[in-house]
Amino acid sequence: MTVSEVLIKGGRDPEINPEPSSSEVAGRSPMRIAMDRLRSDKVAMVCAGIVLVFVLIAIFAPLLCKLFGVEVRAGDPVTDTDSFNYPVIGPPNYGFTWEAPLGLEPNSGNDLLAEWFYGARTSLLVATVATIVSTIVGVVLGLIAGYSRGWGDRLVTFATDLFLTLPFLLVAIAVSPMLVERWKENPAMLDNASLIALIVILSVFGWMGLARLIRGEVVSLREREFIEAARVLGMPTHRILFRELLPNLVAPIVVSFSLSLPATIAAEATLAYLGVGVTGRPSWGQTILRAQNWFDEYPLFLYAPIVGIVVLVFALNLLGDAIRDAFDPKSFR
Amino acid sequence: MRLKRTVIAASAIAALTLTAACGGGSGSGEDSTGEFKAGGGAGAGKDATAEGPLEIPSDAKKGGTITVLSNNAPHTLDPTRTYYTDSGAIMSGLVTRSLTQYVYDEKSGDSILVPDLATDLGQVSEDGLTWTFELKDGLKYEDGTDVTAEDVVYGIKRSFAVDTLTDGPTYQLTFFKDGDKYKGPFADTDAELKKLPDYDASAGWYGGEDYDGVEADGNKVIIHLAQPFPELDYYASFPVFSPIPKAKDKDPLAYESHPMATGPYKFESYKPGVSLKLVKNEHWDPDTDPGRIQAADAFDFRFAQDTAKLENQILGDKGAAQTMMTYDDVTPPTYKSIKESAPDNLIEGTSPCTYMYRPDQTKIKDKKIREAISWAYPYQAAWKASGEIVGVTIQPGTSLLPPGTAGRVEYQYPKGQDGQTTDPEKAKALLEEAGAVGFELKWHYQRDDENSVAKKDQMVKGFEAAGFKATPVASTDETYRDDESNLDAPVNLRYGGWCSDWPSGGSWFPAQWIGSNANKPGMPNPTNFKEDDADAKQAEILKMDADEVPAAWGEFDKWMQETYMVEINAGYDANAFIKGSQVGGVVNDPVKGMPSFSIMYLK
Repeated sequence: MTVSEVLIKGGRDPEINPEPSSSEVAGRSPMRIAMDRLRSDKVAMVCAGIVLVFVLIAIFAPLLCKLFGVEVRAGDPVTDTDSFNYPVIGPPNYGFTWEAPLGLEPNSGNDLLAEWFYGARTSLLVATVATIVSTIVGVVLGLIAGYSRGWGDRLVTFATDLFLTLPFLLVAIAVSPMLVERWKENPAMLDNASLIALIVILSVFGWMGLARLIRGEVVSLREREFIEAARVLGMPTHRILFRELLPNLVAPIVVSFSLSLPATIAAEATLAYLGVGVTGRPSWGQTILRAQNWFDEYPLFLYAPIVGIVVLVFALNLLGDAIRDAFDPKSFR
Repeated sequence: MRLKRTVIAASAIAALTLTAACGGGSGSGEDSTGEFKAGGGAGAGKDATAEGPLEIPSDAKKGGTITVLSNNAPHTLDPTRTYYTDSGAIMSGLVTRSLTQYVYDEKSGDSILVPDLATDLGQVSEDGLTWTFELKDGLKYEDGTDVTAEDVVYGIKRSFAVDTLTDGPTYQLTFFKDGDKYKGPFADTDAELKKLPDYDASAGWYGGEDYDGVEADGNKVIIHLAQPFPELDYYASFPVFSPIPKAKDKDPLAYESHPMATGPYKFESYKPGVSLKLVKNEHWDPDTDPGRIQAADAFDFRFAQDTAKLENQILGDKGAAQTMMTYDDVTPPTYKSIKESAPDNLIEGTSPCTYMYRPDQTKIKDKKIREAISWAYPYQAAWKASGEIVGVTIQPGTSLLPPGTAGRVEYQYPKGQDGQTTDPEKAKALLEEAGAVGFELKWHYQRDDENSVAKKDQMVKGFEAAGFKATPVASTDETYRDDESNLDAPVNLRYGGWCSDWPSGGSWFPAQWIGSNANKPGMPNPTNFKEDDADAKQAEILKMDADEVPAAWGEFDKWMQETYMVEINAGYDANAFIKGSQVGGVVNDPVKGMPSFSIMYLK
């Protein structure tokens, strides 16, 4: 049994445990307590359900399209739109039809339900990967900075400050034409490159807050007795970092992850709206960009992606809040 | 003439603030096909005796400000450099008077060439090499000083400095005496001439004031030509032939900030790319001008506006929006609502422009492949996907010369191609004949423009269905124009439009398909078309008598397509723009493809 496990078993400071003390508490880890608390939070559970639905939509987008009998980006303007470029079936001019439950896109005749399903996929794929990468980077750099006194700390802190000064939007807008220049003759490669570049940009600009947070926590933890004890026992540094310190940082990491995920989804949509996000695949931001000119006549076109973003981001935010409350009872409402 | 350019960057920034309109129900789902008005024959008519003043319509109210909104922004407003449809219409219509001008004739729905500063449409000598224009009396600038023939001569000389004042029309370099050697009034020393690009010591270049191709004699402007130019009277309507006082032109590049007005309005303030405010010019005399009125107090142009926002404002037609208008083509959703709610505020008409897909002759050598492209191209799908309304903002095209051009010959080539038929089977058969199944077509699209991406998707589908290999090459709004005119770009199919400078083939073929311009940087000959017999035919037509020339160009159009299949006609441009209910006198000028600012007023 490691020193930290002993400490965890023993429970953290008793005064931060808001539950009335009972005999069972002694046997539960803080993680367990937090999960129990989360499970009893109705709002959190509803939000988790909504998020799960979105995740399933993203994963099974092709299957769902088949189920509804729609196809992504398969519209034919000649047969699917009239002389005003409005769709010949579904809203705004005709009633609901199962052929196109969300209607067709004016001009191109592409199916909007398929576009929406695949938009959810892009959104969640980009946001999840980018958030995981930025969390890992943030945790590792935060641990290094907090534990290494001296130049290591200074270096990482400097890098953190440097990245905080870079204007995120400007870099994102500047990178886009560079990619075009590099892969302009290979459209498939360009689409992949733009997806990867977007994930990289979102990751590169997402780790600083967490790194600072972790560094602060580590600085306060590293002088504690259990770390001193581990060092005296001759434990190698990486073991101290990952086996002793990291388990004590689970709470801030989980909270940070759950709060930065919705922010990343919103950022992805913003970039797509500005025309510098992913290309060649559906994205909610791009749909919003195309839909705004048609709002007067065909509001559903704009509402669908907006509802998608709002519901997903709102659910993730509420879930994130609930997770923070569960892990950090000091901030109880 | 070049089509106006679109400022996408500005609109993308404006789009940061989401513009939503107040709700409004969509009308009935009835599919009332927009009827296309044939706008008459684009300016084939002339009237050398027209005299001012032009009558102000009875429903006109004196005063008020007409606000003109646009998503575009003119590149420059220097009279010597205005060669885009938008800047040309603003300057010629309101600010600068030239030797001749067009006036809209309501009876024929057409624009007619009439005198402007000159007393007639010019007198041409027996050998066709000397033109004389006599100026009217009592012409004044906005500051009250007299307009002199010397100033017109200086303005013309200025147009030879194409390296300083770029982007302007260049017919004078081909047709005027010493046009290939004279470099304008600014480079008047050898040292300065040497700095010009492509300097050649043996070419005999010269500059400065001393140029005898254009001279002033009293109130006469005399132009000497190197070769006959039977259509010079049309060309004389360009702002290049407007007076520019030399004393005000100390810094040629700064002249555009306040060109001296001779027309009914003068510059009050000009912010390039943002706004232009014009106010009444007190020294303009309606008695000398058969083509313009001065009813409104001011014109307020606002450029680089967000399309959705400006359309919603004008569509709403409330308060200040009643005196607004735009010269941008209407988008499909707005077209539908205004057609139902206020058809009087929708102006439709022709524009003298043709869009073309232009195969590079050096890369797509087999004529059969070029014919196959014309069957494979998904006309209808590409138009709709890119947001064009077929029959309203675009018309299927056959001959290269747009309708209304004098001498135009209507033909279909390949046989049965009416400008909108896609037949992958015919394309496939042609490709098999040529032994080129799987031939790779590469063309540019704007990756950050949703309409361009949607059009590209349709083109890939269409080309692949016909047995081509389709490789779209990514470009951006920012770089698209440069990429298209880059000689070494990795594409073999370019896209472009060309507009008549005057309604005859003379402003088409020598400008676009002359062999001497092939394979040059900047792609002045966008297909790199170079055939000896075609060049010989063009030289022959230029030597003909003025009245035979238009018909000869019409025949040349047909001959060139049938013999070489040089271009794939992707449709004639058409106009549909909207205005507020109080703006009157808004008609589509078929010669410029723009609203007629010169006769506009408030009701």
